[in-house]
Amino acid sequence: MTSDRFDLGGGEPIITLRDIAKSYWRETLEIPVLQGIDLEIPAGAYIALMGPSGSGKTTLLNLIAGIDRPTGGSLEVCGHELNGLDDDQLASWRNLHVGFIFQNYNLVPVLNAFENVELPLLITGASRGERRDRVEQALALVNLEDKMKNYPRQLSGGQEQRVAIARAIVTDPDLLVADEPTGALDAKNAEEVLGLMERLNAEFGKTIVMVTHDPKAAHHAKHQIHLEKGVLDKAVEVNR
Amino acid sequence: MRWLALIWKSLMRSKRRTLLIVGSLVLSVFTVAVLQSLLTTLNAVTNNPNSSNRLVVRHKSGLTQMLPRSYEAYLRQQPEIETVCALQWFGGYYQDPRNFFANFASDETTLFQIFREEFGASGISEAQIKEYLRDGAGCIVGESLARKNGWKVGDVVPLTGTIFPINPRLTIRLIFKSPKPSDENALHFHYKVLEEGVPYMKGLSGSFWVRAHRPEDIPRLIERVDRHYANSAYETLTETENAFNLAFVKMLGNIGAIIQGITAAVVVAILIVTGNTMATAIRERTTEIAVFRAMGFSAGRVLVLLLSEGVLLVGVGGFLGVLLVNLAAGGVRSSLGMAMPFFADFAILPDTILACLAGALAIGLLATFVPAYAATRRPITEGLKAVG
Repeated sequence: MTSDRFDLGGGEPIITLRDIAKSYWRETLEIPVLQGIDLEIPAGAYIALMGPSGSGKTTLLNLIAGIDRPTGGSLEVCGHELNGLDDDQLASWRNLHVGFIFQNYNLVPVLNAFENVELPLLITGASRGERRDRVEQALALVNLEDKMKNYPRQLSGGQEQRVAIARAIVTDPDLLVADEPTGALDAKNAEEVLGLMERLNAEFGKTIVMVTHDPKAAHHAKHQIHLEKGVLDKAVEVNR
Repeated sequence: MRWLALIWKSLMRSKRRTLLIVGSLVLSVFTVAVLQSLLTTLNAVTNNPNSSNRLVVRHKSGLTQMLPRSYEAYLRQQPEIETVCALQWFGGYYQDPRNFFANFASDETTLFQIFREEFGASGISEAQIKEYLRDGAGCIVGESLARKNGWKVGDVVPLTGTIFPINPRLTIRLIFKSPKPSDENALHFHYKVLEEGVPYMKGLSGSFWVRAHRPEDIPRLIERVDRHYANSAYETLTETENAFNLAFVKMLGNIGAIIQGITAAVVVAILIVTGNTMATAIRERTTEIAVFRAMGFSAGRVLVLLLSEGVLLVGVGGFLGVLLVNLAAGGVRSSLGMAMPFFADFAILPDTILACLAGALAIGLLATFVPAYAATRRPITEGLKAVG
């Protein structure tokens, strides 16, 4: 089903964007990337952000994840007006509410799987025992409990991405943001990772916003939002 | 995982680079600590607290010129003077010319009064002194010199003269201890051995060591003695013992400026090397830093982590450097101490160690701060793009 109203289903919005604009400056030249973005994403949604290169999808994802700031408009994510947070508050907010999944996994090469997953917990104040339990649970969820002591170089690409997913969920965030999470994987591993993300959404109620070029990957989401030249073009509910 | 483990593992991501930079830090700290300790040792030579009321009277033209021993009588007449000792550098060696140590012909009757503080630590008895005084061919040696050569009381030490054409055979009558190792590297024998063996030395001495009753008398004494012998055939130069020693130190050139110059060069070089290494290491981790910050690490926390890496790196290098220099101190004492007796007092003082460690830590902080601060100010989105 195609909708022009960006109806992404019912429920309380976890992400609310109001007239969001983002521009970059190259010397005195303003380059608008996003303009007039109004969007509400309900909790528990699984969104695939799609669009051609330069359409602003990664920029939009970065704004939602609180690692970039808009040049106009307001955004409320996980109950917080992000414009009102300073850099340190925003960092704490990300630690509590957002899990990141990157295209290139971005694991720390000198840390083993356990230690990589433990990283976001180091700043939560959790005790050593708590951290250990949560890391073991997260790695069990991605079926890597037997690879805890393995370093990234000792893992396949798919396993690395699963460790990255475990790292993203170990703090039990409300929101997972994924930028081309299968971009560096072969088809089999990509399916595995997408299945895992689907499960996190369906079983654990995680809200997922994923940027992807891949229609097959986007098909795993519940909704697809298309951007075109920095504006929302259309939202599509995925039929499965 | 603990924070220290995270910092350590980050440091060890490039073992070769880390080992090389630690190696260069060890060498730098070692070099600076040795140089600064040499300077401290030299400064101590010219600031001997025991010498506050001692003077040296010598020929105005230099140490190679002699003064008549008749001057002793005039010196003894001065009410401020407690005692006078004729002392002549003999410059002999034992068995091998490389086996250098300080040896003097000295007035045996006053030697122990002049250097009361130095000999006082020995606990030597009147009987021992009498034994030495009784034997005209006797000598006294410092304990470390005796230990080095395996000498004991009663042994005969044949000295080969290099300045004077005699080879005295001396019997050890006393082995003394001294608070300063350099003083224990000396041998003294009766002045008359020199006077009787070398006819042209009869009635002459290279220097007179004078002990005044009170330090405050010294300026007056210096002025009076030199004025008394002004325009005579043997004009004198009277100076404090510290000033006399300083003249020897100055023979090495402006050693203080040289040492400080080398120290500054080493510090600047290691600052550049460490700074460059840390900048490269941090630049290679641009994406990782962005990921840390995306996960919720504040810029300040990441900065502290990076600074901790820099401090740990130089801390390890500094600690190993200090450890090495302490191990090497004995070698410096025995090698340089042979060439110049006062280097037998070479020691790495706690102040030097603390200064070296503090300097190393400051270098670590300074070298890391600039690239680390820049890295943590870089927008997260830019850092993530650096993945390539």
